[in-house]
Amino acid sequence: MTTTEVGRSLPRLEARQKVTGHGNYTHNIKLPGMVHAKVFRSTVPHGRILSIDTSDAIALPGVTAVITGQDILKIIPEPYYGPAFHDQPILALDKVRYVGEPVAVVLAEDPRVAAEAAELIFADYEELPAVYDETEAMTSKAIVHDELKPAGTFPDLKHLIGRKDTNIALDFHLKRGDADAAFASAEHVYEHSFQTQQTMHTPFEPLISLAEPGDGRVTIYSASQSPSFARSEVARLLGWPENRVQVKVGHLGGGFGAKLYIKLEALVAALALLVRRPVRLSLSMEEQFYTITKHASTFHIKSAVDKDGRITARKCEVIWNGGAYADIGPRVTQKSGFTATGPYDIESADIDSYALYTNRPPAGALRGFGIPQLVWAYESHTDLIARDLGIDPVEFRRRNILRDGRPHVTGTIMKDAAIDAVLETLAKRMDWDAPFDHGSGTLKRGRGIAIGFKACVSPTTSVASVSVSADGSATLYLSTVDMGQGSDTAMSQIVAEVLAIRTEDVRVINPDTDITPYDMATLGSRSTFHMGNAVRKAAEHAREQLLEMAEKVGLPKKNTLNVPEIFRHAYGMQAGTVIGVGTYIPTYASPDKDGLSDNVTPFWMIGGTGVEVEVDTETGQIKLLKMVNAADMGNPLNPRIVETQLSGAAIMQLGFTVSEEMILDGGQVTNASLADYKIPGIRDIPPHIENHIVEAYTHDGPFGAKGVGESATFGVSPAVAEAIHDACGVRLTKLPMTAEVLYKALHGEQE
Amino acid sequence: MTKRSITFYLNGRPVEAYVSPKDTLVDLLRNLDHFGARESCGQGLCGCCTVLVNGTSVSGCLELAELIEGKNLDTIEGLDAGGELSVVQQAFIDAGAFQCGFCTSGFILMVEQLLDENDSPTPDEARDYLSGNLCRCAAYPEILDAVQLAADKRKSLQKEPA
Amino acid sequence: MTYEILKPETLQDAFGLLDTDDPMVRPFSGGTALMLMMKSGIFSPSRLVVLRDIPGLNGIRLEEDGSLWIGALTTLAELEKSDLVAQHAPVVTHALRHLSNRRVRNVARIGGALAHGDPHMDLPPLLSALNAEVIVEGSNQGRRISVQDLVTGYYETSLESNELIVAVRIPSQQSWQSAYRKFTARSADDWPALGVAVSLNASRNEIQDLRLVVGAATERPTRLEQSEGILRQEGRSGLERATEAAMASVEFMDDAHGSSQWKKALLRVELRRAVQEILDRNT
Repeated sequence: MTTTEVGRSLPRLEARQKVTGHGNYTHNIKLPGMVHAKVFRSTVPHGRILSIDTSDAIALPGVTAVITGQDILKIIPEPYYGPAFHDQPILALDKVRYVGEPVAVVLAEDPRVAAEAAELIFADYEELPAVYDETEAMTSKAIVHDELKPAGTFPDLKHLIGRKDTNIALDFHLKRGDADAAFASAEHVYEHSFQTQQTMHTPFEPLISLAEPGDGRVTIYSASQSPSFARSEVARLLGWPENRVQVKVGHLGGGFGAKLYIKLEALVAALALLVRRPVRLSLSMEEQFYTITKHASTFHIKSAVDKDGRITARKCEVIWNGGAYADIGPRVTQKSGFTATGPYDIESADIDSYALYTNRPPAGALRGFGIPQLVWAYESHTDLIARDLGIDPVEFRRRNILRDGRPHVTGTIMKDAAIDAVLETLAKRMDWDAPFDHGSGTLKRGRGIAIGFKACVSPTTSVASVSVSADGSATLYLSTVDMGQGSDTAMSQIVAEVLAIRTEDVRVINPDTDITPYDMATLGSRSTFHMGNAVRKAAEHAREQLLEMAEKVGLPKKNTLNVPEIFRHAYGMQAGTVIGVGTYIPTYASPDKDGLSDNVTPFWMIGGTGVEVEVDTETGQIKLLKMVNAADMGNPLNPRIVETQLSGAAIMQLGFTVSEEMILDGGQVTNASLADYKIPGIRDIPPHIENHIVEAYTHDGPFGAKGVGESATFGVSPAVAEAIHDACGVRLTKLPMTAEVLYKALHGEQE
Repeated sequence: MTKRSITFYLNGRPVEAYVSPKDTLVDLLRNLDHFGARESCGQGLCGCCTVLVNGTSVSGCLELAELIEGKNLDTIEGLDAGGELSVVQQAFIDAGAFQCGFCTSGFILMVEQLLDENDSPTPDEARDYLSGNLCRCAAYPEILDAVQLAADKRKSLQKEPA
Repeated sequence: MTYEILKPETLQDAFGLLDTDDPMVRPFSGGTALMLMMKSGIFSPSRLVVLRDIPGLNGIRLEEDGSLWIGALTTLAELEKSDLVAQHAPVVTHALRHLSNRRVRNVARIGGALAHGDPHMDLPPLLSALNAEVIVEGSNQGRRISVQDLVTGYYETSLESNELIVAVRIPSQQSWQSAYRKFTARSADDWPALGVAVSLNASRNEIQDLRLVVGAATERPTRLEQSEGILRQEGRSGLERATEAAMASVEFMDDAHGSSQWKKALLRVELRRAVQEILDRNT
């Protein structure tokens, strides 16, 4: 299909705003009469609240109010929230479960007074035993939640209701074929364990929400990736109809999964309703570390391999450290868990995936929804097997790769998944078959390639509407949040393509739940596919109406649409509006009791990375010389934006690979700042970065497109580990792979 | 808190404002409805709060507002005077050198400074100069492209006869 | 709780404002470090004495004896861009390029940077290896303190509360050559985990005299005297022994940048590389 607007690499529609300092961030909002909130947080990792003394804080001049969990109960009798489990209190009630948990809030007109007053609150706790490690939490006597509280709305979580004396929030199991038999007769058996660390998104616009009380309603302004969910969740908590809660979102200063579901929204709504004034709560960079993080994990993986180097069976046990509240962790455990065997054609598999509660800050979704943790393990494992068998790692992958038409371990037949093309692109661009210089002396060089894949969380719904004006311009209403990924631009390109207008003539209305229709959330690379389809349908719906109008007024049938002409003929002047509406939900089949399903995802995302590194064996310093990213992109709607998404994702994952790690001491995060939690800077990126779009038409996607935001995170960590191994013979199995870690692996722990 | 009146020049225009001793330049600008300089890390490491004081870049989150008295404070909002984007701003658009845009004001002001000091920076010089600005979307390769684009464009403009 | 911001216009006025028993009164020049401490609540001043407007404390000049006089209010960026510094102490120019970041260098002053006593800094060990001294004035009599003696411990200096650094003097480096190497552990723009400064007086590639100083990994910049002695006696053939002696003679800090054990290894490598870097320049 030839397209003119789809496939155009035009700059982001909001580019001018962003380069002139006029980006429309929630952070800019000032409401008349608003008060500022400052959160008082728990200093113990696990404890019963004995008392909270707010008298000194309330006595400080300028303080409007001090609110505790008991006050919240006055307007929200069941103040527990969460997307999968209703386990997180808006403010702590009987117990605190991690250091940094919100316990009380000070409100004041001056944010500095609020901060000063928060320092004057004293809480007394009866400390309880705490557990931090995910493996220990499996059997620990320290129990984080007295009773599991899954959201009753999900049929697949119902069996967990009321479960006690466990930290396992959810266990997911998949069983295909007879893995035990395959292992018993295997030529080779390999078994390894890998770990990842807890990290944080650090969006540069720290989490912020404001609430404005109205007459029987509340308006929430929030830097949120999920306005529709925020509306329904706050309405549920208040016991109100959804139409009395309005959620408005501007541009986001980064999200990466940190701003999903609700974070501050219920709190500011409750505060605003309690004091009858607008409330602004803006977290500091430090406070973000106490709010949402990425799962630490432990992955035990075991493979049976036959004499030809074919993997015949695989067993995976994955333990996810979810922290004190479930957030979306149980869904990570399931929806990512079933891909734990990797993009390989394996006859028999057992997967056990566990979501654990611990006394750490809660973990949720972070760019990849658990996939980078899994790929880290299964690709490292893959390289170790290839090494032992003496087979080139790319060749070993070729022998086992999962190709279109073959069943994934869930039983779903692979389609539109260019796993082999991504692998071959990487091999070619890395010049894999050419001789490689491994360096000399104390500077050793090595290289590695790794690939991964991801299913899209399903089934989820998107709704869009397009309003076409008589002059041929169009307005697009959608609740997808543009946090930098370029969705406003890509969606406008779809509208423009269908209506035969220019993308520049489409305006996107930022999410406002009073106006913009429902969208599940902006997460998991789902928007291009789901919202893209809804937008296409909405635009097509408008187009059909325009064609009908044209026919009625007797305009000649043409292939191209002349919108102003149609309106002029229909109304005798430039007048009228056509509104198109589109809804999209893909088909899906829930996994059965063995975790099997013949339709487990609407599409697959494939991504991989190749790297060359240089290791200074005397210091352990690791320098990336080259990074090649490739991802299966369907048909890219805007190739330029797609490329920036690829390198952005890969560099972010590079941070999680070599430097970023939340350090905890007795449950207290000790490096909750950019001074001590080091994200990649401009001098940390490889001097040579290539991004390759492997175009593979997605048959159900809008104009053949699929999601892209996470794909380039998949392969980075294991590719770096293999490159280090290739350079200096040392295998690291735990992230992050810092210079000191590598030094110690090279030289032993001698004193 | 005791507030003092100060006067200074904001993007070339004289301004009188009331500041308290604890106010930083970012606080001051926010009170004046200038949101382009933003506090993110709060430690002068990310550069989202970059502004120019008497023509030199500083971290607005680490500079006391009171000390701006009598000085020139220039921000991203002053760069497209007359409605025309600067060469650097346009280069950021052309190179696609941002995603979420939260750090963009700071990067653009730093690149303006870099090119004022060095009209042909090598990629290494550009990296060194910009190493105090962070981008969580990691648009670093595109930012380096923008530096190159802007440097070339500025030079070609200089060559053109007036 | 708030504070007063005072802007004296003479040194004498500044001393008057600083001469108090109140430990919450502080001089403020660039303020980059103090602002961080104030924002995080580590330090709540009662009075900030802003020194920026005091005349006579700016500029860089070459003295008759060949030494460089650097006014205490000289910003690190001015130092970085100075032709005089590039000519007479090129190692300083070089080190500044990767010292903190550009905006900090635009604001931070050399006097304040030294008076802060922060162990994770590049300039104290470097200036120490250059045998630099600070010129101090106070309510009482002025004095000179070598940079090596200025920092006495973790964020501790030998300055009295009513004393200010007015200038830094780097002696003529004529027959001396220097190198500074640092290792950043967590990212390229991180504070150093270890910094090593080496100054050598080497004619015909024979080491006549030298100064070796390690910083960042230790509570204060530490002179490696034993290693200096070995190199003085044995020349470059003693390099391996000198680095081993350095490892044994220093007390390293365990901190967020790394373990003391690893820093020990880093010292061996970076010290050797720094000395070699200078010797290689001459071959």
